[in-house]
Amino acid sequence: MNNWDETLAHFSAAIRTGAVLAPGALNCPHYAEERGIGVYRNNFRGNLHDTLASAYPVLRQLVGEDFFRLLAKRFIEQQASRSGNLHRYGGEMAEFLTHFENTQHLVYLPDMARLEWAYHRAYFADDVPSFDLPRLANIAPDAYAGLRWQLHPSCTLLTTAYPVAAIWQAHQEIEAADFNIDLLSGGDSLLVYRKDLSVDIVRIAPASLHWLAQLQQGTGMGDATETTSSAHPDFDVATTLQHWIAQGVLVNFLRPSP
Amino acid sequence: MMNTPASHSLPVVAGIGLRAPHYAEVLERRPPLGWIEVHSENFFGGGAPLHTLLQVAQQYPVSLHGVGMGLASPDPLDPGHLRELRQLCDAVNPSSVSEHLCWNTAGGIAINDLLPFPYTRDALSHVAARVRQVQDVLGHQILIENLSYYVAFNNSEMREEEFLTELVARTGCGLLFDVNNIYVNTVNLGVDAKAFVHGIPAAAVGEYHLAGASMMGGCLVDTHSARVFDEVWALYEYTLQHIGKRPTLIEWDVDIPALAVLQGEAQKAQHRMDAP
Repeated sequence: MNNWDETLAHFSAAIRTGAVLAPGALNCPHYAEERGIGVYRNNFRGNLHDTLASAYPVLRQLVGEDFFRLLAKRFIEQQASRSGNLHRYGGEMAEFLTHFENTQHLVYLPDMARLEWAYHRAYFADDVPSFDLPRLANIAPDAYAGLRWQLHPSCTLLTTAYPVAAIWQAHQEIEAADFNIDLLSGGDSLLVYRKDLSVDIVRIAPASLHWLAQLQQGTGMGDATETTSSAHPDFDVATTLQHWIAQGVLVNFLRPSP
Repeated sequence: MMNTPASHSLPVVAGIGLRAPHYAEVLERRPPLGWIEVHSENFFGGGAPLHTLLQVAQQYPVSLHGVGMGLASPDPLDPGHLRELRQLCDAVNPSSVSEHLCWNTAGGIAINDLLPFPYTRDALSHVAARVRQVQDVLGHQILIENLSYYVAFNNSEMREEEFLTELVARTGCGLLFDVNNIYVNTVNLGVDAKAFVHGIPAAAVGEYHLAGASMMGGCLVDTHSARVFDEVWALYEYTLQHIGKRPTLIEWDVDIPALAVLQGEAQKAQHRMDAP
């Protein structure tokens, strides 16, 4: 480390962790040095708190604003920001909540955090052109199995243990909401993605989720269909393929390299 | 001595910073605004934010103002960040692109703020290389904004205006002179504002910023949450005399008032620009 790196690393630590800087490093004629650094500490915590509050609005409603402040403070202490783009901050919230001792009784919170993060990422995902259907007509039927489909970049597939889609929905319009949700009624199979300009949370068949998840991992359509069919004997690949193309979920395919 | 503006295509009139609370009103009413500026990172990716900005860009000249590049960070520039900025520029075709003379990331850890650093010769070489890198990726000049800061480093080897002047010479970048930032530094750290005005190359200045700050615990914090201070208007008038007329932005980011208030502040800037 040279002097330059060291100076900035120390300054960063002073802001994030309250580390003390070497005497004489800073010039601060009109107020205490700690006052000046304090402005950066407040900005640092405030910006990350506001970022979490905007990525996790339902989580915040579920635990209340005051408690969310404590939760965010702990999260910020544990999870550094890694990007100059604040929209990327906060993805570890579900994992954090799995271990956060103060909310262990709210067993569905990690699932809610996963759903809200998927929503947040979908909102800011790239645009891509929709699939040009005639392209498929030019593929010989025996080449279908080798196609590697690409999902819209906003897509997240989620299998949850708790019915968080209903809880999420109930918190969108609080006045008219139905909060009569049985927490033990089972989990959801969900696709979160952006259709046109708004983000959709779609309940999908477990077979569809299984198949799409494999395509998303880069598995060829033939292999994905085979494993899906063995787990879900009723799986109908032709209908499913058409449906997700029409819905703007499957946006492109790559042909296998010869 | 007056100088002609650097080669930018923003109109030489007052504009406003456009933030989410005013998107709908601006698109529906299409009020007379000279130009608008947005924070680049808020429109990275696609979807609704980009769609809104593209609609706005059909009505008004747009300036993209980055807050997350970290030009002076010791860590390498984030290639993903650069790619997203390029993608945004390709989509929006902005009239101006600007970044701050600051850093945000060291050792892989980001502080999402505009952080000061010591103005050393080593820092100058480092920042100059990165400004060139950004300009190469974007294919055009960017403006670099002077910073408001709350502590200064004793190991600085030059003043901020000397650093910026040398940066312009080495990279061909332009300057965004934030008048309020210099005022904040004057109050907090005794920076000589007039020396700054005379110290930067007038021909490189492509834009001015004006904003309001807040006194908190003896420190003037650059909150962008208030009307422009009288002292800042006075410094702006001095700047107009000595550097010349440039596109001038009213920035307001916290406790954002009605659009009419922003237009009123922009009008005040316009009157000063129009004064003989």
